[in-house]
Amino acid sequence: MSGAILAATDLSRRFGKIVALDGLSLSMGAGELFGLVGPDGAGKTTALRLLAGQLRPDAGSVRVMARDPVREGDAVRAELGYVPQQFSLYGDLSVQENLDFFGAMFGLNGAEVEARSEELLALTRLKPFRSRRADALSGGMYKKLSVACSLLHRPRVLLLDEPTNGVDPISRRELWQLLQRFAAQGMAVLLSTPYMDEAARCHRVGLLHRGRLVRCGPPGELRHSVGHGCYWLEDLPRQIAEEVLAQTAVLTRVPQGKRYRLLVRRDGEEALAQRVSQAGGRLTPTQPGFEDLFLLFTSEGGDGA
Amino acid sequence: MSPAGRSLRRTLALSGKELRHIVRDPRTLYLALGMPVVMLFIFGYAVTFDLDRLPLGVLDADRSPESRELVRAFESSGVFQRAWDLSNAAEEAEGHFHRGRIQGALVISPGFGRELGAGREGQVQFLLDGTDGVTAAIALGYAGAIAKAYQLRLLSRLSLELAPPLDARVRLRYNPEARSTIFIVPGLIALILALMMVLLTSLSVAREWERGSLEQLFATPAKRLQILIGKLLPYVALGMLQVLLVLALGTLLFQVPVRGSLLWLLGTALVFISGCVGQGLLISVLTRNQQLATQVAAITALLPTVLLSGFIFPIENMPWPLQALSTIVPARYFISALRGIMLKGNGPAEIWPQLAALLTFALVMLAAANARFQRRLD
Ligand SMILES: Nc1ncnc2c1ncn2[C@@H]1O[C@H](COP(=O)(O)OP(=O)(O)OP(=O)(O)O)[C@@H](O)[C@H]1O
Ligand SMILES: [Mg+2]
Repeated sequence: MSGAILAATDLSRRFGKIVALDGLSLSMGAGELFGLVGPDGAGKTTALRLLAGQLRPDAGSVRVMARDPVREGDAVRAELGYVPQQFSLYGDLSVQENLDFFGAMFGLNGAEVEARSEELLALTRLKPFRSRRADALSGGMYKKLSVACSLLHRPRVLLLDEPTNGVDPISRRELWQLLQRFAAQGMAVLLSTPYMDEAARCHRVGLLHRGRLVRCGPPGELRHSVGHGCYWLEDLPRQIAEEVLAQTAVLTRVPQGKRYRLLVRRDGEEALAQRVSQAGGRLTPTQPGFEDLFLLFTSEGGDGA
Repeated sequence: MSPAGRSLRRTLALSGKELRHIVRDPRTLYLALGMPVVMLFIFGYAVTFDLDRLPLGVLDADRSPESRELVRAFESSGVFQRAWDLSNAAEEAEGHFHRGRIQGALVISPGFGRELGAGREGQVQFLLDGTDGVTAAIALGYAGAIAKAYQLRLLSRLSLELAPPLDARVRLRYNPEARSTIFIVPGLIALILALMMVLLTSLSVAREWERGSLEQLFATPAKRLQILIGKLLPYVALGMLQVLLVLALGTLLFQVPVRGSLLWLLGTALVFISGCVGQGLLISVLTRNQQLATQVAAITALLPTVLLSGFIFPIENMPWPLQALSTIVPARYFISALRGIMLKGNGPAEIWPQLAALLTFALVMLAAANARFQRRLD
């Protein structure tokens, strides 16, 4: 993996009996936007902390630009931006004071901090709020400030832990535009998110489930790799629908309003169609999305299609 | 920027940030600067350990010149006031105690003068109301001193070849009116510093653990020592400010003297404060939690300083296990050094053992905190 800016090999970490991350391997090049997608407790934060050198792995290794973030921490941190999941700026400090403080921590001189924070404030459109206390910012503005603070030293790798969680839709779109712009400029951007719909915006997606990377690849490819039929089931009372669907070929079923969304094994499609029409219901095929994909992995305990 | 310049800039930026936290959270500031004032007033005005005319019941069953002289010795001390003459029964004293008419009773047995005249021991009983333990302990100390002085006077009269008695009240030599405020101020400085410095520093780091800001700070290349020093400096400054505040008020309001060098006093305080912030840091590194840090700070800083430092209870009157325990309480050495500098005009020649003890404590605490402080989340 000589071209990789960020690489993890067989990365594992446990907390007591909980295996938070189990053998994560991935590698990223410059200009790539990678999304680590997974539900609560999947191990996203653990993965990012390991990549950033904030935690020590039990097994496996991390390389950021060929350096070990635990042993060569300072060298790695000089090339790495990290936006934690929790609120981690100083709430009683203003936007500008937070930027000044982190600028000094990154070893920039006054003039550098001033120039770069101007630039980043303009980019994140936070200029009008520069004297506002960080804890008085909205969720979206806070995240943007957090991103700005971790970009002051112009890192080549940016890690963001659930940057869009708790952020309104408009700021969310703005954040995504920023991240895509950073990637286009050559930065390696890795973010985690619990939202399946965000996966489509990444160049590559890793599905994380119970500490394991169950699928990894470009979003389009992943979607097409679902080897099952995806359907809407309509016009059946719930009780009857449950009876009709009670068979092994139905891999996932999610009630949505009066309908059901289904993933059905190819070899069971015909039989199911018959039972549905006998019961008086309607079965319409549809395109599988990331939600279906994810549900499939999680319902099967993560071993996939 | 040179590495040294960068290091200095980081440290100062951290101190500046910490200072902003302190200034912007008025509670910290009120606590840090208000508490010394309040405590000084409480200890200076309300809780005076000076005993003034404690009502005394007297039962002189001997009625000899010797017994009358002993009673007079108690009366003229100014500490006790003859409030009731008890006729004979011990139950009578009991009744007066219950009604709060007397707080002490002097009971001289018949034959007291005769026994003394014959060179044997005279029997005297001294009863005290122990409800208020501190008052009782102090009164007992005075009673002992009065009896001792009386005994020496008697001795010198009986055998002429004995040298005239030295001042029996050795402990009161540097504080002739036995004013407790003078004695209290050094202890108060130690108490305030031990409490506030340990508490504030332990909270400041624990707060960053709880709020998650350490995660962001750890993502920067700031070094461990830069983080620690930068965070601690403002608290050291705040502690020095507290010392100056208490000293200024003590001198102005209670005429507390500073007979030794102010510079040595401040230097000693600086060493003590360094130990306290080190202790606070160690607590927060180990607990990572504000509530727990507060409790541990109270148990490891407040309690020993109040109970085992000699601030209120003299160490020499403690049972030996407590005396032994008191040797690891830094406030003990600090108070002793402060009393030496302020009341006796001591300098480094006299207080170096205390200084050495304080320095050792500070180094151990800071080294332990530094060793346990990880630049990582695990
Ligand atoms: N410091 C820790 N101590 C103990 N257990 C932990 C710790 N950090 C994480 N875990 C456990 O490890 C597992 C993975 O947690 P992690 O925070 O990595 O998941 P996540 O995908 O980030 O979840 P979320 O969406 O809630 O942020 C969880 O079961 C969690 O309880
Ligand atoms: Mg998380």
